[in-house]
Amino acid sequence: MNDLSGADANRAPDDSTPAQPMIALSGAELHLASAGGEVNILRGIDLTVARGERLGVVGPSGSGKSTMMMVMAGLERLTGGTVTVAGEDLGQLDEDALARFRRARVGIVFQAFHLIPTMNALENVAVPLEFAGEADAFDRARTSLEAVGLGHRLDHYPAQLSGGEQQRVALARAFAPGPDLLLADEPTGNLDGDTGATIIETLFDLSRDRGTTLVLITHDPAIAARCDRVVHIRDGRIATDGEAA
Amino acid sequence: MNDAGSSWALAARLARRELRGGAKGFRIFIACLALGVAAIAAVGSTRAMLAESISADAREILGGDLRVDLVHRPATEAERAGLGALGDVTGSAEMRAMARATGENTRRSLVELKTVSPQYPLYGALKMDPPVARSDLFAERDGIWGVAVAPELLSLMELSVGDIVQIGEARFEVRASIAHEPDRIGGSGLFALGPRVMIADAALAETQLVQPGSLIRYTYRIRLPETASISEAVERLNTDLPDAGWRIRTLDESSPRLTRLIGRVTLFLSFVGLTALLVGGVGVANAVRAWLDGRTATIATFKCLGAPRTLVFRVYLLQVLALAGVGTAIGLVIGGLLPLAATDLLAQLVPVRLESGIFLLPLLVAALFGLLTALTFSVWSVARAAEIPAGNLFRALVAPSHGRPRRGFIAATAILALLLAALAVATASDAWFALWFVLGSAGAMIAFRLAAFGISKGAARMRGVRRPALRLALAGLHRPGAPTASVVLSLGLGLSMLVTVATIEGNLGRMISDELPENAPAFFFIDIQPDQIAPFGETVESVPGTRGYEQVPMLRGRIVALNGTRVSEEDAPPDARWVLRGDRGITWSATPPANNRISSGEWWPEDYDGDMLVSLDQRVTEALNLKLGDTLTVNVLGREFTATIANTREIDWQQLAINFVMVFSPGVLEAAPRMHIAIVRAEESAEDPLERAVTDRFANITSVRVRAALETAAALIGNVGLAVRLTAVITLIAGTLVLAGAIAAGHRRRIYDSVVLKVLGATRGDIVLAYILEYGLLGLVTAAIAAVVGSITGWAVVTFLLRIEWTPEPAAVATTAIIATLITVAAGMVGTWRALGQKAAPWLRNE
Repeated sequence: MNDLSGADANRAPDDSTPAQPMIALSGAELHLASAGGEVNILRGIDLTVARGERLGVVGPSGSGKSTMMMVMAGLERLTGGTVTVAGEDLGQLDEDALARFRRARVGIVFQAFHLIPTMNALENVAVPLEFAGEADAFDRARTSLEAVGLGHRLDHYPAQLSGGEQQRVALARAFAPGPDLLLADEPTGNLDGDTGATIIETLFDLSRDRGTTLVLITHDPAIAARCDRVVHIRDGRIATDGEAA
Repeated sequence: MNDAGSSWALAARLARRELRGGAKGFRIFIACLALGVAAIAAVGSTRAMLAESISADAREILGGDLRVDLVHRPATEAERAGLGALGDVTGSAEMRAMARATGENTRRSLVELKTVSPQYPLYGALKMDPPVARSDLFAERDGIWGVAVAPELLSLMELSVGDIVQIGEARFEVRASIAHEPDRIGGSGLFALGPRVMIADAALAETQLVQPGSLIRYTYRIRLPETASISEAVERLNTDLPDAGWRIRTLDESSPRLTRLIGRVTLFLSFVGLTALLVGGVGVANAVRAWLDGRTATIATFKCLGAPRTLVFRVYLLQVLALAGVGTAIGLVIGGLLPLAATDLLAQLVPVRLESGIFLLPLLVAALFGLLTALTFSVWSVARAAEIPAGNLFRALVAPSHGRPRRGFIAATAILALLLAALAVATASDAWFALWFVLGSAGAMIAFRLAAFGISKGAARMRGVRRPALRLALAGLHRPGAPTASVVLSLGLGLSMLVTVATIEGNLGRMISDELPENAPAFFFIDIQPDQIAPFGETVESVPGTRGYEQVPMLRGRIVALNGTRVSEEDAPPDARWVLRGDRGITWSATPPANNRISSGEWWPEDYDGDMLVSLDQRVTEALNLKLGDTLTVNVLGREFTATIANTREIDWQQLAINFVMVFSPGVLEAAPRMHIAIVRAEESAEDPLERAVTDRFANITSVRVRAALETAAALIGNVGLAVRLTAVITLIAGTLVLAGAIAAGHRRRIYDSVVLKVLGATRGDIVLAYILEYGLLGLVTAAIAAVVGSITGWAVVTFLLRIEWTPEPAAVATTAIIATLITVAAGMVGTWRALGQKAAPWLRNE
């Protein structure tokens, strides 16, 4: 695969040192109040993810996998404990600072793609670069789309693309700003087996080539097995943490 | 990290991309704004067109650069010389008189008589049909003067050119009918009681109509040299002739009555337009909320990709602004062109040569109203959308945000609402009235919002209902996302305006039509000389079918000072200005008027012979901040009299009786030249014989038929009422649009509901009944509240503004209730009928 992000001149310097982990969750707790009483979603998670590491996250539905990923993206605030990503204590950042942090350092891929229906493929990929004020946003978006094999689909809208193509656009969008961390939440959940396999192949290639830290939620043991390490989440806690089989 | 990601330029770029999907879902939004803006722009443009037209022809309408009016007496030699020193002068006298046909034709008519000099008119042209040389038009031939008459007099009295009419003691030959009198609306033209009759000034003396105390207005129109300043000329008149007691009018008040009428009517119409816009605002809010609910996933995606809240807010605010721009532009085009299209119709209603064109200022004001309304009603939803938690994308649930926006945005919404209110007050010709309107609208909106809340809560509490259709209907009123609030608010506001207009019109109409048979006099007779009182009384009583004859002496006087301080119209509060505006009828009496009640102080003894006292109308006393013991100075025929307020009276002005604001104690005014006025009650069949008997015997006495005068007033009110009703209907259309939008928003739910109900065994009839009940209940409750709000508003306008007695209008309220229920049920059914036709399987599979 080609380089997806191109030049990265405008990126803010990484505050962390190479020895520091990319992600550090310490005693991470999240309790939400609901009509039926308090719901404990995360019950004290301690987890570190090294730079360039590929972490698979598995567990039953409702175990807290997605919530943990949202905490890593700064989309959910902990009610207890700390989360540090790329040297930033996310608990200390306000909402807009978190948004700026995400666009500089974090790429996200969803199960349902979440492309913006009113924008074509090129514009969808350019959006995070535009947010970052990159002057060459469209050139880099084009490079990124060519890298996932969609150079001929630049002007197509999401509704004109197949599910696999949509997820490739989402991958191109996630990698285009050159993130340090890529969060993927069941990226093949909405795709058939062959298409899903292609997407996973692309995802792993890109993260390896870019040295991007990858956190991948999946229900598929075979995909999890391709990661450097797998954690099992159950009932808001890490049940097992170890190298992939 | 740089923050280029929140810039307006980026927001605009993203907004443009989003808008590529088209304005689907915004049709109601655009229609609501366009309708309201069109109404305001049309009213504003019409007002500007009329003002411009009057201003363009101001010299012609005023008849000069300057006009000076005197009541009762012509200008003295010195005064004429003073006027003549300013420029060219033409003088005329105007009065009401009786014209009688001669020979076998026994018809007669009240006419508005005007004398003109050879120099008349100074501006514009006097046009005749057939065209007659001026030297022949009014000239005396064989002892008979010429007269030009309004065309309606020819048909009224069955006269033709060449016929002879008698006015006062003189005979006149009809030489032409008047095709155009240039200064008609600057004089009494607008509210004339009879057709215009024009004679030479030299002929007036022969009519012998000029008697002491006769109600005659002498007018002098002056054309200044081109280099002269009007204000300096006025200054000079005031300095050189301070005691003339005349009223000076300049070009900016060429037709004060018409200008005032236009001001009042357009003020009212613009408020109706504003109500339409407010109603539309509810539609705007609904449309924006529904649209943003549909964008939830996109907004969350933006945030996941690193878009700050500010950027999200800007992206969607810009889209709202762009669409508001489209709606406003459509409204401006319609509102700007409508007066042009209606010029012919307007020309029939307003006797002014209309200057049609596009008027930028009213369009600008309407655009501001449109954009401010759009912002006021959408900022809340847009700000709330910016708070959508991005993390929702990780869950299957992508739910819209329903919390409150941040404080800053709540404050922004409040500021925008205040700006809207300020704009309404600032652009209205009557700021107090506008303020009341703003407060009333805000109160009504709160009332309707609370009512909607009450309906939802009430429906939720009614759990014991057994009939499934009614239970479904009640559930439809309180389930989450029910359109109850927006329907009650928007339709309720529109209906309230309709009830208000209907009740005001009904009360005005009743005052005119209902009073007449009961106790209204058939005639007012004016200009009765003191020595004619006894024979006049005999004549009246000799006609069978007459009764209730009353007469009083009358002079004309103008209030010039209160407690020794000089006053003018501008000094008075708005509701007391009419008292200080020009001359009022005054009288004296030893005994209190029979139909008035003394509300404070005491009436003077019958043989009172002390300093001059005055009895004053209670309302006027309050409006002018006067109290017993204060003094009031009136100018009567150039002389000033000061009297002490001895008592106040409650006067029912609706009674068509002889009433005076000021009644003075006897002893002083008797010496002034006066005339008497009389009212006579008569059966309808006695009206013609009575008029003939009086005018045959007394050529100088003028009779005013009350029935005809009321018909003239009713016609004027009818024309105004039509315009107001038409505009009020716009608020109802706006309300219906909002209703349609709210129902359309719930379309998917209704299809799903009806599919599920059908699966469970409900027939189409069961489902239709449930929806009829749901919308019927909604319409009925909305109508009930609108009836209360509209009646209260109508009562306030009738009681405090029109100052007439309030009577409830059950028919108008009932009609409104029926209209509301029908509209709501019809709109609901249109949406539901399509839902009923849906096949169940695809929907069940999708779900």
